[in-house]
Amino acid sequence: VRGRLAARLGQSVVVVFIVTTIAFFVIRSAPGDPFSYDSARITPAVRAEWRARFGYDQPLIVQYGRYLWSVAHGHLGYSTLRNESVASALAEALPRTLALAGLGLLLSFIIGVVVGTAQAARRGGWFDRITSYVLLVLYSIPDFWGALVILLVFAYWWQVFPAGGIVDAMHDYMPPGRAFADRLSHLALPLASIVLLTTGAISRFQRGALLEVLPADYVRTARAKGVPESRVIWKHALRTALAPMIVLLGIMLPAMLGGTIFVEQVFSWPGMGLLAARAIGSRDYDLVTATVIVGAVLVVAGNIVADALHVALDPRVRE
Amino acid sequence: MLMRPPAPRRVLAILVLTLFAACTSNEGGSKSGASGGGATGGTFIFASPGDPTSVFPPFVTERVGATLIDLVFDHLADISSALTTTGDKTFTPRLAKSWTWAPDSLSITYSLDPRARWHDGKPVTAADVRFSVKVFTDPKAASPVAPLLSNVDSVSVKDSLTAVVWFKRRTPEQFYDVAYQLFIVPEHVYGSVPVDSLRTSTLARTPIGSGQFRFVQWQPDVKLELDADTANYHGRPLLDRVIFTPTTDPSTRRTQVLTGQADFMENFPGGTSVLDSSKVARELLIPSLQYAFLGMNPYAPKSNNQAHPIFSDVRVRRALSMAVNRGDMLRNVFGDKGLAAHGPFPMMLSASDSTVKLPPYDTAAASALLDSAGWRRGSPNGMRAKHGTPLKFSLLMPATSALRQKYSQLLQEQYRRVGVTLLIDAVDSKTYTERVQPGLKAGDFDAIIQTFSTDPSPSGLRQNWGTAGIGPQGQNLMRYSSVKTDALMDSMSASFDPAKFKQYASRAFQQIADDAPAIWLYDLTEVDAVNRRINVTQTRADGWWHSLAEWSIAPDKRIDRDRIPLSATPSAR
Repeated sequence: VRGRLAARLGQSVVVVFIVTTIAFFVIRSAPGDPFSYDSARITPAVRAEWRARFGYDQPLIVQYGRYLWSVAHGHLGYSTLRNESVASALAEALPRTLALAGLGLLLSFIIGVVVGTAQAARRGGWFDRITSYVLLVLYSIPDFWGALVILLVFAYWWQVFPAGGIVDAMHDYMPPGRAFADRLSHLALPLASIVLLTTGAISRFQRGALLEVLPADYVRTARAKGVPESRVIWKHALRTALAPMIVLLGIMLPAMLGGTIFVEQVFSWPGMGLLAARAIGSRDYDLVTATVIVGAVLVVAGNIVADALHVALDPRVRE
Repeated sequence: MLMRPPAPRRVLAILVLTLFAACTSNEGGSKSGASGGGATGGTFIFASPGDPTSVFPPFVTERVGATLIDLVFDHLADISSALTTTGDKTFTPRLAKSWTWAPDSLSITYSLDPRARWHDGKPVTAADVRFSVKVFTDPKAASPVAPLLSNVDSVSVKDSLTAVVWFKRRTPEQFYDVAYQLFIVPEHVYGSVPVDSLRTSTLARTPIGSGQFRFVQWQPDVKLELDADTANYHGRPLLDRVIFTPTTDPSTRRTQVLTGQADFMENFPGGTSVLDSSKVARELLIPSLQYAFLGMNPYAPKSNNQAHPIFSDVRVRRALSMAVNRGDMLRNVFGDKGLAAHGPFPMMLSASDSTVKLPPYDTAAASALLDSAGWRRGSPNGMRAKHGTPLKFSLLMPATSALRQKYSQLLQEQYRRVGVTLLIDAVDSKTYTERVQPGLKAGDFDAIIQTFSTDPSPSGLRQNWGTAGIGPQGQNLMRYSSVKTDALMDSMSASFDPAKFKQYASRAFQQIADDAPAIWLYDLTEVDAVNRRINVTQTRADGWWHSLAEWSIAPDKRIDRDRIPLSATPSAR
């Protein structure tokens, strides 16, 4: 097992290196650079001076060598967009996205598993058909459009939730209880968007997994022994059907980081998605490359965890 | 006795109740009764499109940063709302309570207001003026403002409250150059940082100025907070605090303003009828220093010497100008709230001239001109061609600009009617900049729709439309060159008599209009949205925020957040 783990870690390092390299060259081959502002006020001479100061006037291969050296020493560079170190920018944004995506995925997972299981238990019935239809519709909605509709309905028409931001502008002036409630209220709409948009996929996956398990011998035996149907489904069959779902969870968490870009954009949630979108728009080279590195690390880590869980939960794989 | 752990249902109920309390508390929405303070008080929340990249004056490059530094820092003198830039008659004292000119006009002695204090309590001194000029002009700092202060030679300190600014030459706008472009920054705060490190210094992220608002805190992507400097030498502002909340998405900003979560946003999307019917926000129309035009490249794309096959001929440029109905386009895009452009300048410029004669709308005359230039109808589809080459060009524009998108579609249709094919080339803003701005790929376009945002100084037009502005170091994107125009603009910039200054400016404008390097489309009027409880005194064309210290909220209109006292501000706790 240790050998396999070491091999996977080695592969992961190679994957992250390749992704970093691609991100480094792709963002630099896009038109413009961090200092190509659409402003007549900044003269080309000043732009050239700034480029030189950050080394962006050097040949690409020199820039690449410097960047790798810098990353190898633990420095992810300097953000020209935020005028601070990339590490500081990531330290603020990453926890916010992990909180939003993690909580969103957890809720989606709970709801998706419950609904998917109930659908499989009543296969072909009205509950199965109606929820399948509704969840398929939700699953088909583009992220940004779904988030905008939620914003319109709950923040503009009904005005029951705030329309963006991580906290209210007056958050610092609130007593602790109210400040906590303020955080929750700002979390509600982006979280609801993520849950609504991802639950469909999870429930469909869960429904399929359970339908594969239900004809199994041990399920038939349990029924023959007179175990109540609800116990057969929710205890015996679900336990087996959950194994691939937990693997799915490991894979979906990093994938969700990309999916939150639109949600973060619409609700001004200052996480990795918003940071990456702004960094790309302003050609903040170091910040773009760093967000890609973080994304790649999370993806490979998620895959390793998913594999490990798969091995732990399924004895057939261990053998 | 052991405590029973809370049941999941109970935890859920507490969470739901807490959330409900948050949603119904309506921090920004409830109205106060008759209680409240006097003339001062209130919290103003500005839903800004993003964070500033810098909050230190020499390095500010974008509008959010410009807003902030104008509130936190001071100039030596303030320009008038008419934005007159010649002489010093219309300027009012700010950090300098008075000034005197040397007989040869090569130096101005500024006497500083002895009451002026930095926000850390230290007095503002003449040494700070000298330091500010050094920071702004030192090549190591690479400030974008440095070229605008190139006429400043040096600063000498007579005593702690008297600074003498020396100029290289006498010009009509030398007073404006220093008063408008230079912010005074404290030497005792920033002087310890090497000039070339100031841009990335952490000190530059916590500005200390002498303006009527003080910097309180900056949480990137969350908020940037200022509060009233109650001991300010120009009096305390009427508002207690100003909070910038960066919100990238315009529709989210719009919702925030329409629901009272924020008090102000620039460039309200979706038309003014929404604001007319809103009980929370109203529109604020601010004519700006921006004008938009369709520019025609006289050279072939990417070339500096090969003539453009279509636009090198002035007859074609004039014909294309006469083929479009600018009035109809303006009404179509802006309704009854648009402002037509009158030439290569915004009407808010002090030297503007509404009598400049532009090529009139006349499709018959346009067709005749195109015929005489050899571009005749004849191809099977009825479009024009010359020696087999179709009269076809592409119009480069940033895809993010809704206004320019609308205009490009209207232009396309009008040109089709006179037999001209226009292809719309919408690209992302960085690509647009790369293809348009001087540099390696300069002039990589046939035509563009461009917005120029000018300084109040008409002399800036020389950079945009003068021969000196052509080349990698210039800002003449259209590479328009005319000896006559250059001479007129030189005479304008050398005229100390305001009347003559304006006369030369008008003649230069007319010459450019006659040469038709562009089609002047519209002057940009900012449609901003402001909460109805805010009393707006006045705005200026170069920025809505210049008199923010005089904006107020009447006691009977104040809501919860307006009643939070200044003593509760984090820095004051």
